[in-house]
Amino acid sequence: MIYAVAVFAPLFGSLVAGLSGRLIGDRAAQAVTILCMILAAICGSTAFVQLVFQGGSPGTVALGTWLDVGQFQAPWALRYDTLSAVMVAMVTFVATLIHIYSVGYMGHEKNPVSRFFSYLSLFTFAMLMLVTADNLLQLFFGWEGVGLASYLLIGYWFDKPSACAAAIKAFVVNRIGDLFFAVGIALVFFLFGSIEFSAIFAAIGQHQNAIYHVLGADFRAYEVIGVLLFLGAMGKSAQLGLHVWLPDAMEGPTPVSALIHAATMVTAGVFLMARMSPLLDYAPGALAFITVIGGSTALFAATIGCAQNDIKRVIAYSTCSQLGYMFVAAGVGAYQVSIFHLITHAFFKALLFLGAGSVIHAMSDEQDMRRMGGIWRKIPATYALMWVGSLALAGIFPFAGYFSKDAILEAAYASGSAVGLYGWVCGMLAAFLTAFYSWRLLIMTFHGAPRADHHVMEHVHESPPVMILPLVVLAIGALVAGFALKGLFIGPDWAAFWAGSIANAPDNHVLAAMEELPVWVGFAPLVVGLAGIGTAYLFYMVDPEIPVRLAARFGGVYRLLLNKWYFDEFYDWLIVRPYFALARLLWQVGDATLIDGMPNGAAALAADGSRRIVKLQTGSIAVYAFSMLIGLVVLVSVFLLFR
Amino acid sequence: MIATLAFYVFALILLVSAAMVVTARNPVHSVLFLIMAFFNAAALFLIAGAEFLAMILVIVYVGAVAVLFLFVVMMLDVNFAELREGYQRYAPVGAAVGAVLFVELLMVLGGWHFAPDAASLRLGQIPAGVSNTDALGRVLYTDYVLLFQLAGLVLLVAMIGAIVLTLRDRKTSRHQDIGRQTARSAATSLRMVTVAIGAGVAPGDILRPQPEAPLTPPEPVGGGAGHGGPHHAAEIR
Amino acid sequence: MNWTAAIPEIFLALSGLAILMLGVFVRREPTFLCSMLAVGALLLTAVLVLGGSDGAAYGGQFVVDPFSSFVKLLVLAAAALALVLSLDYNRREGLARLEYPVLMLFATLGMLVMASASNLMTLYLGLELQSLAIYVLAAFARDTLRSSEAGLKYFVLGALASGLLLYGISLVYGFTGGVGFAGMAQALADPVHASPGLIAGIVFIVAGLAFKISAVPFHMWTPDVYEGAPSPVTAFLATAPKVAAMALLLRVMVTPFGHLLGSWQLLIELVSIASMVLGALAAIGQTNIKRLMAYSSIGHMGYALIGLACGTPEGIRGVLVYLVIYVFMNAGTFACIIAMRRRGLAVEKIADLGGLGRSDPGLALAMAVFMFSMAGIPPMSGFFGKLYVFLPAVQSGLWTLAVIGVLTSVVGAYYYLRVVKVMYFDPGVEELDAPPASLSVLATGTALFTTLFFVFPGPFIGAAQAAARVLFG
Repeated sequence: MIYAVAVFAPLFGSLVAGLSGRLIGDRAAQAVTILCMILAAICGSTAFVQLVFQGGSPGTVALGTWLDVGQFQAPWALRYDTLSAVMVAMVTFVATLIHIYSVGYMGHEKNPVSRFFSYLSLFTFAMLMLVTADNLLQLFFGWEGVGLASYLLIGYWFDKPSACAAAIKAFVVNRIGDLFFAVGIALVFFLFGSIEFSAIFAAIGQHQNAIYHVLGADFRAYEVIGVLLFLGAMGKSAQLGLHVWLPDAMEGPTPVSALIHAATMVTAGVFLMARMSPLLDYAPGALAFITVIGGSTALFAATIGCAQNDIKRVIAYSTCSQLGYMFVAAGVGAYQVSIFHLITHAFFKALLFLGAGSVIHAMSDEQDMRRMGGIWRKIPATYALMWVGSLALAGIFPFAGYFSKDAILEAAYASGSAVGLYGWVCGMLAAFLTAFYSWRLLIMTFHGAPRADHHVMEHVHESPPVMILPLVVLAIGALVAGFALKGLFIGPDWAAFWAGSIANAPDNHVLAAMEELPVWVGFAPLVVGLAGIGTAYLFYMVDPEIPVRLAARFGGVYRLLLNKWYFDEFYDWLIVRPYFALARLLWQVGDATLIDGMPNGAAALAADGSRRIVKLQTGSIAVYAFSMLIGLVVLVSVFLLFR
Repeated sequence: MIATLAFYVFALILLVSAAMVVTARNPVHSVLFLIMAFFNAAALFLIAGAEFLAMILVIVYVGAVAVLFLFVVMMLDVNFAELREGYQRYAPVGAAVGAVLFVELLMVLGGWHFAPDAASLRLGQIPAGVSNTDALGRVLYTDYVLLFQLAGLVLLVAMIGAIVLTLRDRKTSRHQDIGRQTARSAATSLRMVTVAIGAGVAPGDILRPQPEAPLTPPEPVGGGAGHGGPHHAAEIR
Repeated sequence: MNWTAAIPEIFLALSGLAILMLGVFVRREPTFLCSMLAVGALLLTAVLVLGGSDGAAYGGQFVVDPFSSFVKLLVLAAAALALVLSLDYNRREGLARLEYPVLMLFATLGMLVMASASNLMTLYLGLELQSLAIYVLAAFARDTLRSSEAGLKYFVLGALASGLLLYGISLVYGFTGGVGFAGMAQALADPVHASPGLIAGIVFIVAGLAFKISAVPFHMWTPDVYEGAPSPVTAFLATAPKVAAMALLLRVMVTPFGHLLGSWQLLIELVSIASMVLGALAAIGQTNIKRLMAYSSIGHMGYALIGLACGTPEGIRGVLVYLVIYVFMNAGTFACIIAMRRRGLAVEKIADLGGLGRSDPGLALAMAVFMFSMAGIPPMSGFFGKLYVFLPAVQSGLWTLAVIGVLTSVVGAYYYLRVVKVMYFDPGVEELDAPPASLSVLATGTALFTTLFFVFPGPFIGAAQAAARVLFG
């Protein structure tokens, strides 16, 4: 019950704010959504605590029937187990803080912002539906729901062409992933005859040897399904190849970036991997694929992060990179670790984004770091909070990121496989780069000589308490979450904690193996992180000429990084341009001439037929009676002759 | 033998008069042929042993319905020539449809055979030694009470419908208000006056009933065709 | 005798009589009171239907089963909706007379009897009771030429259809030796008995019933009567009798003639295809929205008949689900049509809707919802109606029907969406009057049903499933 309230309170808030926002005014709409969110957060946390600490029993909250067509059944139901409860608690908690923060951040908007709050709450509801889904279709419903809300929020400033373009890009790129996901769901249904998790997981053992024959080659069904689901997750979680929408999505208001593109939505892919862990664990090929993509993303995004100048884009690439870490963990079978990092990351990444928002707010909506600097005395609270976030991100003891990132790298190393090792190497390099770009960001933003014009500098001010307060809460989270949750999530009693909501195959011992690693593996990330910080200090604080010389010396590499490895250009050349050309061809030749010709012809035919039929409708009773009789005679004749 | 002969005679007359109902040029003749058809049908009933139905047919259809038809035909100045306007045009189509239907019904007749258990499934078996009317009465209010009541409701609806569609409450029509009539007393309606001999009655002394409301001019009657012009004018386009 | 089976019908008949008497004796303007009482009577009857127990009664002339209860509830709901629709309209048009609700009650009673008929005689009497009341209702605005013309046409053609039906009944009686459905089914268990005469009889019966659901080629009355009859009567005509007559058709085809599926399947297919095609094509050129709805209902009945043509429980279930959806979206559409008034005068041209999107966004939105639903665009309920008849058709191998159904839906979408286009993109001539509360409430309610059907279709589909199964024994 409490659980259902946690899920539906945001929907209620969204509907109230969205439908009657104009009626009740901005203030009331904000109040309603925030109250609903607080209620949801309380209920969500209570449900979590009840389940984990007070011995509550997992189960399902049935809500009703959705679809019942033949053997295909999809009920509305909320799944109540540790994995879902953890996610619900995290989502409602972070979303509440971001709602509160938004009151301050959106304070200077000229237009009513009830729409914004409605979208935020709608997003939260969809995300909750996603994480509490009891079957794949409901999960897909939430999946598409967050996609829709994300589209609406990225394009919130709809009078800004770049925002609209970014919204469309996000939507389209996500469609590609969703297509694979949908095919994956369909295959699951064909294989298991059900899309309900409990039924799927119960039947895992039976279909292990199912095989698909495609183009003369044999593929194991589990591998195919696993890869398809991961391709879906890649779109949503911005993994290498389908990551291009995430940086552009920063066109949306900053709270949106924090909520959707850092803390919650992009982690849906990781959640999906954990949710489907019983199946994935029997698909080693798919897992290897996940590890390779995850590791590559982690490294690749980190390299780009080092050369970007837009403060939000740096954090966006960092998100991309951290998601790569989570997939590495999932790929080596340590789903618990990936969820652990997901939670800690939610705290510190939301903190970083909201901190960046606070900076942008202070700098009169300036986002370019090259026009910042020298403001740390003016906004000390934000400065301090950004430090906390960066320390957590870089994985410095005792901040949250240290525990989770460390665990991921340990798991990758402990897996002992070649791909695991690849993941570990990528992760180590990325850890160095992460620390480097984090301090590059800190130094460029807050230190050095002011590079903004004096109008802006005069105007720099600390954000209002309504914005700082959520940041403080998140900072506390970023400080203690890792320390507090490590014992629960991946401690010795992890099996009792997860209570089967994340299942490992019998031969998956990666969590046990993590305990028996050489000591240096545990320390390596910290050392690398500190090295990164040191390098950044050297480059941007001590001798700012070094990066300039480096950029000149390795111009090619620098431009490669600055232009994000030319991914957008590559896609433009490979897909967008040919696609447009093909579309133009289809439009002018295929559509305008051939296809339009057919419906136009058919329409003309229909209109002609319509005229003829209507002509029969003379209004004369005799004609009507005759037509009835003729019809009758025709029918009788048909029956007597062709029976 | 006699019965068979009588059946064919009556049946033939029935069919001929039915055809005449449709084809006669004078509507009054049509109605008369209709009456003829009813009589012959009643005779057929009699031959089949259904004397009650035969009498009902005569009383209700001949006695009431057909006579009503006759009244309507004679009182309404229906322009039958105009109604027959489309006759020439539709005749070929009608003939074709009729012919096809006829052939098909012949085919149906060709395949006629009784179901083996038809006799046992027949409705309303007449017990021996009970008259026709008696037998009908026995089942009508017991086994078929539902249908009987439903038929009653159909008639009720027909009555309501007739009233709804035709009854007009005209301002000029005079109603009898029994309450007012009986409430009158001599005191309110009589006044004794003494009139001098040879003086006559003064104009003001003559009492006339005062109209309660000013009279409205009578509604214009459409078409000048006597009763109920407007609602019969449902023109058939 | 188990007379209690008919308690809902008896109650409705008695309340009709009581309301009639009350209306005669109440001095001052009895219509509103009588209408409200009639709505109350309909609701109470629904309660009685819900509380009734299954079984046959009156020597097998009358049967109560999940199928009849399902149909009765739907009919009662449709009648109640139509009655509420008439309140404001009749007052404004000077049609507020107490006979109106009474006739509605008796028509509804006829439909209830039709739903429970398990005998050709009961069938005929129910049908006549229903029809006769509706003939009168169609001509209720007796001072307008169009209304009396509508009543007259419906009556004359209805009489012809009744003749066909009776002829068919007599043929079937002659060939099976019974008029009770159970006995007929027994007699026809061996398809050898499917003689030409019997088949001809079935065709005649189908013709008589197809007239009532206005399926092609017995549809000719529909546009004229829909246009001429007072709008609330049209709303009634478009919903409740269609449900009852379709239910009757289902029961007759499946229960007594179920063994002859092979013989009549093609018949239903032909009628269905013709209805879909004509419904889609003829509506294109219409300018009067009530005529448009007439062709639309012809088309919808064609879609519903697809389910019957399957001859499977799934198909029948599809028809029943379709009817539920159809009733609510049609009632809503008519609420919007009845709300169309300009300076107090009713208007019914499609062009009169121009600019409604700006002048009355609520009404326009409701109308748009109904139009999208009728066009079968998901997630509106109309889509699911079509889905639930197309799927069984595909499963039964009736590809032709499904394909034609989809094609005609596309053509149909054109004229439904044209209404939406007129509302939102055409310049308004002059604003329409604000609709009265009863219509707004009704339109909102039905629009919500139409929009949200997809969330909880379970109970409806479950009930339809149970109802369909009982026909197949």
